[in-house]
Amino acid sequence: MLKVDGLYKSFGGVHAIQDVSFEVPKGVVYSVIGPNGAGKTTLFNLVTGIYTPSAGRVFFEDAEIGGVAPDELARRGMSRTFQNLQVCMNLSALDNVMIGGHLKLNSGILAAMLRWPGLSAADRKARARAAELLAFVGCERYIHADANQMPYGALKRLEIARALAADSKILLLDEPAAGLNHTETHEIEELIGKLAQSGLTVVLVEHDMKLVMAVSDQILVLDYGKRLAEGTPAEIQANPDVISAYLGGEIEGE
Amino acid sequence: MSGLAAAPTQAAETARSRWLGLAALMAFMAVLPLVLPNAFYYDVVIRICINAIIVLGLNLLIGYTGQISLGHAGFYGGGAYVSAILVEHYHVAPPLALIAAAVAIGATAWLVAGAILRLKGHYLAMATLGLGIIISIVITNESRFTGGPDGMSISDFSLFGLRVSGEKQWYWVFAGLLALAVVLAQNLIDSPAGRALQALHGSEIAARVSGIPAAKFKTRVFVLSAVVASVMGSLSAHYMGFITPGLAAFPHSVELVTMVVVGGMASIYGSLFGAALLTVLPQLLARFEGWETVIFGVILVGTMIFLPRGVVPSLAARLRRKEA
Repeated sequence: MLKVDGLYKSFGGVHAIQDVSFEVPKGVVYSVIGPNGAGKTTLFNLVTGIYTPSAGRVFFEDAEIGGVAPDELARRGMSRTFQNLQVCMNLSALDNVMIGGHLKLNSGILAAMLRWPGLSAADRKARARAAELLAFVGCERYIHADANQMPYGALKRLEIARALAADSKILLLDEPAAGLNHTETHEIEELIGKLAQSGLTVVLVEHDMKLVMAVSDQILVLDYGKRLAEGTPAEIQANPDVISAYLGGEIEGE
Repeated sequence: MSGLAAAPTQAAETARSRWLGLAALMAFMAVLPLVLPNAFYYDVVIRICINAIIVLGLNLLIGYTGQISLGHAGFYGGGAYVSAILVEHYHVAPPLALIAAAVAIGATAWLVAGAILRLKGHYLAMATLGLGIIISIVITNESRFTGGPDGMSISDFSLFGLRVSGEKQWYWVFAGLLALAVVLAQNLIDSPAGRALQALHGSEIAARVSGIPAAKFKTRVFVLSAVVASVMGSLSAHYMGFITPGLAAFPHSVELVTMVVVGGMASIYGSLFGAALLTVLPQLLARFEGWETVIFGVILVGTMIFLPRGVVPSLAARLRRKEA
């Protein structure tokens, strides 16, 4: 479904991503982990068109997407959330979710001004669906709220609802549990489990190991922008390289 | 699950309050002539309507989409002069001249939009400011066509032999257009396209990953607001009968943006209020000879300190808080 081949990205002299390759099969939960600054979010931004790769290629459903604009990627069926929230605070919670369904609606400006037949009906349907999605992610309390009245944890889930509104083929979650307390993290874990069950392909970047180990089918470990290991949760937990990257390794030569 | 069922109800409620607002506006405009004593007052109200419609268009760009323009007087003046030149020098029928002007101004806006809407914040402000000033300079200097700083006169507007002249007739034209503009703007805001514009303001990156082509939407709303300004320019040229380059000048652009900000960003009735306030205030303050600019400034500064989101949205928010 998603394939990354020999990807590089440097910012000035900093090599954020060096020669990273991996493949995400359809219908799995694929996680990318690594210590702070390992390049996880950079990798995400490369895959989702926010950054252009310095070298290497990214394929989505066999089409190369390196450097393709985010709105075009959305059109092809990719949605994502953000580590540092990207929520429209000038809109209501429902409107935010409806933004995710943008591509399924008639978005002509003239058609909108003239109330083109069918436009209002489709919009009402989208609104009802957005309310369902808010309930699905556990934000039913906020169906009538404005985004700026919602707490941080709910906004994280609002972003997931927005991404789901697009009915896309792949969902990339950038640290969905960052900044959440224990209960909220557990709710996110359950939510990702529900998404996986529905057959959606999920790519996850996350720091919370308990969450990652619980939901992932495959895990990629990055360290200093390089691929350190890849495997199932059990394999990763047993991998000595991974343990030393996280806990600090022995000094060589001793 | 009661929330789920209530979501469409909420939408119906906003629809109802929208029609109520529009009905109130139309009723107000319908009875207003009964209390307007003479042509001078008609003229003031007409100027409010003209500004209100331009400001509605500009608010779509500034308040809803979050892009600044300091050059809209250029589009307004440009529309006025293209109409005047076509009608007076080339004897084009006024409605055709109006359409030609709108196409010309729209095309100009579209051509420059690609380049300048990539800019953000101060840079976009500077670029639109420059564009407005260029249009204003062209109008002042091409005196062979425009009469230069002396201005030029333009005949009455007529459509299929129907001639519009005098404040009383024009009043109904502009009042009707204002109601139409409010309906169209409300329709736009409450639609997928309108949401897309507001999403660009809220988080451009979120909008883009949701499939909203940012550049296209910004260009479209920029062109739309420019065309609205151009059409109002053409009509007000016919209404006033005589136009000067001051219409397109930078201070007028600032005045339009001030109407948006004082009335209320991202607010339809805020646009109307801002236009009314800033059109009437200078007239009211005229009696404080020599001090009018100072008082005008104090009122504006006071508004922005005490009602920072603009008069209408700030007051509406306060009202809602009291109810809750």
